[in-house]
Amino acid sequence: MCTGRIDPQFVLKAFQSGADGVLILGCHPGDCHYKEGNYKALRRFHLLKRVVKQFGVDEGRLRLDWVSASEGEKFVEVITDMVATVKKLGPLTTAKEELRVG
Amino acid sequence: MQIRVGVYICKCGTNISENIDIDELIQFSSRLENVAYVKDQPLLCSEDGKNFLASDVAQEKPERVVIVACTPKEHEKTFRNTLLRADFNPYLFQMVNVREQVAWVTADKAAATEKAKAYIRAAVKRVTLHEPLEKKEIECNTDVLVIGAGPAGMEAALLLAKAGRKVYLVEKNSFVGGRVARYEEVFPKMECASCMLEPKMDEILHDENIELITSSEVVEVLGYLGNFSVKIKKRATCVDKEKCIGCGACYEPCPVSVRNEFDYHLSDRKAIHVPYTGALPNVPVLDQGHCLRFAKTDSAMVQEALDLGLITQEESENYKKQDCTACQEACMFDAITYDRQDEILERNIGCIIVAIGFELFDPSVLPQFGYGKIPEVYTGLEFERILSQTGPTGGKLFMKNGQEPRSLAIIHCVGSRDKKHKEYCSGVCCLYALKFARLAEKHAPGAKIYDIYADWCVPGKDNQEFLDSLKEKKNVYFIHTNLPLSVAVKQNKDSLSVSCVDVSGKENPLAADMVVLCPAIIPARDTSRLSEMLLITSGRDGFFAEGHTKLAPVSTNIEGVFIAGCCQGPKDIQGSVAQGAAAAGQVLSALVPGRKLELDVIIAEADENSCAGCMTCIGLCPYKAIMFDKEKKIAVVNTVLCKGCGTCVAACPSGCLTGKHFTEEQIFAEIEEVLK
Ligand SMILES: Cc1cc2nc3c(=O)[nH]c(=O)nc-3n(C[C@H](O)[C@H](O)[C@H](O)COP(=O)(O)OP(=O)(O)OC[C@H]3O[C@@H](n4cnc5c(N)ncnc54)[C@H](O)[C@@H]3O)c2cc1C
Ligand code: SF4
Ligand code: SF4
Ligand code: FES
Repeated sequence: MCTGRIDPQFVLKAFQSGADGVLILGCHPGDCHYKEGNYKALRRFHLLKRVVKQFGVDEGRLRLDWVSASEGEKFVEVITDMVATVKKLGPLTTAKEELRVG
Repeated sequence: MQIRVGVYICKCGTNISENIDIDELIQFSSRLENVAYVKDQPLLCSEDGKNFLASDVAQEKPERVVIVACTPKEHEKTFRNTLLRADFNPYLFQMVNVREQVAWVTADKAAATEKAKAYIRAAVKRVTLHEPLEKKEIECNTDVLVIGAGPAGMEAALLLAKAGRKVYLVEKNSFVGGRVARYEEVFPKMECASCMLEPKMDEILHDENIELITSSEVVEVLGYLGNFSVKIKKRATCVDKEKCIGCGACYEPCPVSVRNEFDYHLSDRKAIHVPYTGALPNVPVLDQGHCLRFAKTDSAMVQEALDLGLITQEESENYKKQDCTACQEACMFDAITYDRQDEILERNIGCIIVAIGFELFDPSVLPQFGYGKIPEVYTGLEFERILSQTGPTGGKLFMKNGQEPRSLAIIHCVGSRDKKHKEYCSGVCCLYALKFARLAEKHAPGAKIYDIYADWCVPGKDNQEFLDSLKEKKNVYFIHTNLPLSVAVKQNKDSLSVSCVDVSGKENPLAADMVVLCPAIIPARDTSRLSEMLLITSGRDGFFAEGHTKLAPVSTNIEGVFIAGCCQGPKDIQGSVAQGAAAAGQVLSALVPGRKLELDVIIAEADENSCAGCMTCIGLCPYKAIMFDKEKKIAVVNTVLCKGCGTCVAACPSGCLTGKHFTEEQIFAEIEEVLK
């Protein structure tokens, strides 16, 4: 399975179930194990970001990044950065019902 | 309904237990819904651990298994195999990574234990939703189709044939050897091209495992890895290759003479002909496009054209359908029959190698070079024919007036490395330009040779040496110009003038009797047609796209279809042959006679009943695994081609696609439980 499998509903489901942030990590463009799933993910991500914003979820709570299996440092950097951003934003208070999916 | 879940926790020596409270995990897990029992082990992946797992599962007979241990990347396969030993379907199992994702990265033991609990809760919930998946195997055909018999295709065909594979080698031309059949010598060692190529061509002709299908093109391809069926259109050539001994008695009497395309129209041939002396297979082709018997125009039309002065009396003879039998009469072996029709051959194969080579960029697009207008301006391939012993001048370096040139200008990078035309470097032109300089020097001693270049691209073992050796020649002048080429060729009264501005900004007016252009190497004419037929993609430069620039240079986006040689990008003979061999290797390991093809089980499945036929998924699949059933108006996932990436599943608006083992339900359950 690859980032291409990420249905926007998964992300909405996560916010609705109590996640304060959602981080999607995939292979670098051109390096997707399934050829081009990450390009598809990127396209969906842009749309999804707009949808999430409509529900009043701050943009910083959703992030897509490329980290390869050999990039330990980058992985740490992205996670630390994401955690800091979400901590700053605090717990997500948007009515979870509104985000109901599935 | 209760589903019996067995949970096994591995301590991984102390890797896991040091930072996670195992007792607490055991207590927590045993209280979860559906969990029948929880057991811990010091090292589950050891021989002892695996034996324990196999016998315990056989004894406890759980309906689902959760293993709390390390990354599935390391041991999911190990445990799946162990579970198989206990007759347990390996897909009714879920692994929880509490080593890399918890113990090793979460410093606080209490926090780590909490995190591990959340993961276990998610896995237990998810695993109850798992379905048993069964591995499938299919029979496959291990024969191979190779398209194009240039250096790359020939190498692939020969290696496969040597390994005992049946190979169908389809070549558009009537002869094998590709572009190289036209060359006299090859860089950098100035080997005789025909001496190098002929033994290989001979092997191709005589190998029992190779069916060489010349004058043919592939017109239809259906199927997938291991099971392709193809249709090949073979042009009628009217000469029976079993009877013909290649004596050549038939050409002489043929009354029709036309320009020979093999020599790029620099010589003439008959309607029945071999393109050059030495062509293999040595069987003439009756070209129905020019043979009088097959003339399409009727006599009334010819008379009208004659009356209108559109053609001369002499030319009109060529258009008249005549019952000529000159060649048939000349043949002492009854090899010529006129009633042949084009044929469609059908073959079944398991893999395809495409090696259709390249074309040259048309230099008349750049009027400053005068190509097509000035008679003494040639392309590299035309010049190869002039230098060839089997070419229009019999290997003498002559101009069209039959005289030897006293000066020659060779111009690099025509259309290459030019943002307006082809941005890439064509890779071989510097070296063949040097080859031309060397040959010209030999054929026309004393002639001045101007090599107008932009940059040198001569990587590799012997090539720099080759360049240096020419720099020592006193008749060879190298002129370094800027890109885009500031060069113009003009026809003067008795010679050509070539003006070029060199890098120092100096104007260099040169007089040259002959000009040779090195046009960019571009994709072969049939690239886009084959790309559509085989569903393989092309890059932005038009060449077939390789699976991965570095790691999969001869693979394509379609399993079982490989590319080799210049159709993948410009390269020399060595590179083309190496790719031919690489493609043969890929085929040999993709399909092995007697071995069935094991299919992925984690794939997508479309539900016939809910598919709306919107076709959203079809264009998204990177493996072209989804077909549209036109009758039922639904999408159908091909179980052989699908690799289970899930891209289509995520996109299907009617939710009719299921990603096995990663279903919507399973993933939702996991998300929900982990965040509880
Ligand atoms: C002027 C010039 C000089 C060169 N000199 C040298 C040299 O000295 N040394 C060197 O190493 N390299 C040289 N090269 C490069 C060399 O020509 C290539 O590396 C080599 O020809 C590539 O081999 P190939 O098999 O990929 O393609 P090709 O040689 O082009 O062969 C492709 C074959 O596929 C066939 N084909 C095309 N379309 C179809 C179709 N639809 N169906 C069936 N068959 C088809 C063609 O008829 C042809 O027989 C030179 C190139 C040029 C332009
Ligand atoms: S005359 Fe007959 S045997 Fe001789 S080359 Fe022509 S077809 Fe072949
Ligand atoms: S899961 Fe991926 S490979 Fe399989 S059909 Fe869907 S898009 Fe194609
Ligand atoms: S496998 Fe597709 S993004 Fe990693």
